[in-house]
Amino acid sequence: MEAVRRELRGSAIALVMVAATTLVAYVLIQSLDVRRGSVIYLLPVLLAGWHLGLIPALVAAVAGVLWSGYFFFSPYYSFYLARPNEILNLLLFMVVAVVTSHLANRMKRQTELARKREKEMSDLYAFSRRLATASSAADIYLAIEEHLASLVQRKVVLFGANSDTKPDQGMLTQHVHAAIADVQAGRTFATTADDASGDIWLVRRVSQKNADFGVIAIDLGSIPPAALDEMRQRVDDVLADAAATLERLGVARALNDAKMRSETELLREALIGSVSHELRTPLASILGAATVLSKSAAVAKDERLTALATVVRDESERLNNDIQNLLDATRISREQIRPRQEWIEPQDIVNSALERRRRRLSGHRVSLDMDSNLPFIYVDAVLVEQAFVQIVDNAAKYSPAGSPITIAAKRNGRDVVLSVHDQGAGLTAKESAQIGERFFRGKRLAATTSGSGLGLWIAKAFVGANGGKMEAVSAGAEQGTTVSIHLPFATPASQPEVGPDD
Amino acid sequence: MTEANPLVLVVDDEVQIRRFLRAGLELDGFVVQDAETGGEALRWATLKPPDLVILDLGLPDMDGAEVLERLRSWSSVPIIVLSVRSNEAEKVRLLESGADDYVVKPFGMAELLARAHAAMRRHVRVSSGEPVVKVGPLAIDLAARIVTINGSRVMLTPKEYRLLQLLAQHAGNVVTHQFLLKEVWGSPHLHDTHYLRIFVRKLRQKIETDPTQPRILLTELGVGYRLVVPEPATAAAS
Repeated sequence: MEAVRRELRGSAIALVMVAATTLVAYVLIQSLDVRRGSVIYLLPVLLAGWHLGLIPALVAAVAGVLWSGYFFFSPYYSFYLARPNEILNLLLFMVVAVVTSHLANRMKRQTELARKREKEMSDLYAFSRRLATASSAADIYLAIEEHLASLVQRKVVLFGANSDTKPDQGMLTQHVHAAIADVQAGRTFATTADDASGDIWLVRRVSQKNADFGVIAIDLGSIPPAALDEMRQRVDDVLADAAATLERLGVARALNDAKMRSETELLREALIGSVSHELRTPLASILGAATVLSKSAAVAKDERLTALATVVRDESERLNNDIQNLLDATRISREQIRPRQEWIEPQDIVNSALERRRRRLSGHRVSLDMDSNLPFIYVDAVLVEQAFVQIVDNAAKYSPAGSPITIAAKRNGRDVVLSVHDQGAGLTAKESAQIGERFFRGKRLAATTSGSGLGLWIAKAFVGANGGKMEAVSAGAEQGTTVSIHLPFATPASQPEVGPDD
Repeated sequence: MTEANPLVLVVDDEVQIRRFLRAGLELDGFVVQDAETGGEALRWATLKPPDLVILDLGLPDMDGAEVLERLRSWSSVPIIVLSVRSNEAEKVRLLESGADDYVVKPFGMAELLARAHAAMRRHVRVSSGEPVVKVGPLAIDLAARIVTINGSRVMLTPKEYRLLQLLAQHAGNVVTHQFLLKEVWGSPHLHDTHYLRIFVRKLRQKIETDPTQPRILLTELGVGYRLVVPEPATAAAS
């Protein structure tokens, strides 16, 4: 029905074009006395063939023949033809018109096909690139879903091979879900279900051979049962092609790899999380008990015992820091750092970090150089403090006991700079380039100083999360190091109104 | 501290933690009552009202925050919460639902005792109406509204005084940003922490020897401010 209507419409437009041509022909004849102009009727034929299809082109050809007979063959202004050779002429025109319209139509189709192929190729290329970079099975399924949606030209929802749930499926009704569960369980390969609004959903496995590609639900709209088989056939064809493509692109392997990766990662992080927690609880008892012991009269009066209690305390604090680093590292690699920014006095961050490391720094000569009227910075103070603590730890660790450590807070252009300068091991050019990398430890000192290579990496990530940057500068090995945090400052949007009574 | 041996209720499900807390607290002159669960804690608190509660948040039967709220619904006993690191939002929430202070696990006994004594002293001060809070060289007379350093008068603006007054009333314990902002500037300015930063800077210039290295008015990052533990006015080391 739709096709017939389209052809009728096309034919009508073709006739209008012929009429317009006739008008032009009439004007030409009247003003210039042209007598060999029948070729002008090829124009509407060509246009109809290109834009409207074969049948309108033929209609245009027939109308064109009639009108050229009227205008250009004697007797003029009559559909009657006087001489036989003119009938031949007209027939020739007819043949040319038909061939022209056919050619025009074919060229049009070829162009369309070429364009469609090109789009398919670029889609496919984009799709395969997405597959190559997908980091999880969910990403791959999403890519397949979009790929199939563009092929089928319908709304589709793709489910994994297992009965894993998918967010955002509110548009599916229970019937459709039941159908999906059936297919996922392998009870059937394909089925249909209708949702509440009368739309029919086709639910089937994407591939007949490979269940890994998942189960697809396609919204066919409200089509009559008679047209369903035809539609299914079309979808089957498209999906057969698509499945072959997925097979060729190694989607199954990519899916498995992605699953393995994310499972290993999850397992590792869960392990770190629970081990850290399990380690921390006894640590709290050990550290607390050590502090009670050192205060008890019996221990306090014996210097050796006090020293031992201090060892227990210091070492459990160190262990606690290592655990904290592990947890922080996990948070960073999971991208779970969400800064809670607020306005803060920069020196509060430095003072808080120094207070937390007071015992650790007691073996060094610490001097402070802080500007008194630094601008406030808008950062997550706790994260920046953690970063600064790491830097202070490093300075204390890699410089000899009794050596000076200078801690400064200064303004520099649009930045507030917090820095720690030590006169310790320094950095070679090669080490400078690598410092702040995950697990990086300088080879010169790795054997004699314990550490995980996480500290400055964590510091860098925390500073970065606050829009700042970290720098390590050293004149060379044994020349000391300056590590600094640069944080841009801005002015608070509103200032408190300070009246004379405030 | 009026009684010779104050009673402390220790609520923690970890036996080792309870053990060292008991030792440390008894050494400091407390009488200790243990509770393993929230339910047990609430029972003991009604049966033998304690002078201090030390409350761990991870309890098997109910959330520590719930124990805190139920206790607060009828008792003003000082409560110190044992918290885990790097959860400032939770600390703030607990302080706002009535905890007097917190210590972060793992912690040393001295730190816990300092917080506990500060909270108990505040409790005594409120009930006895003792007007003067002393913090090192600084003395704040809450009745006369006079602030002195080493005896000489410090002139403060009304808002500066209000800020110092609130901190002095909680001397030794942390006071949250939100509480200070609400009390000094009113509810519309609850999130204007920079108001607070500006006034604290001014206040430090007047009361600290070196304002860049405060010894009296300390910052608790992400939580609030703390006036350092005041000189023990009545009890030296009971």
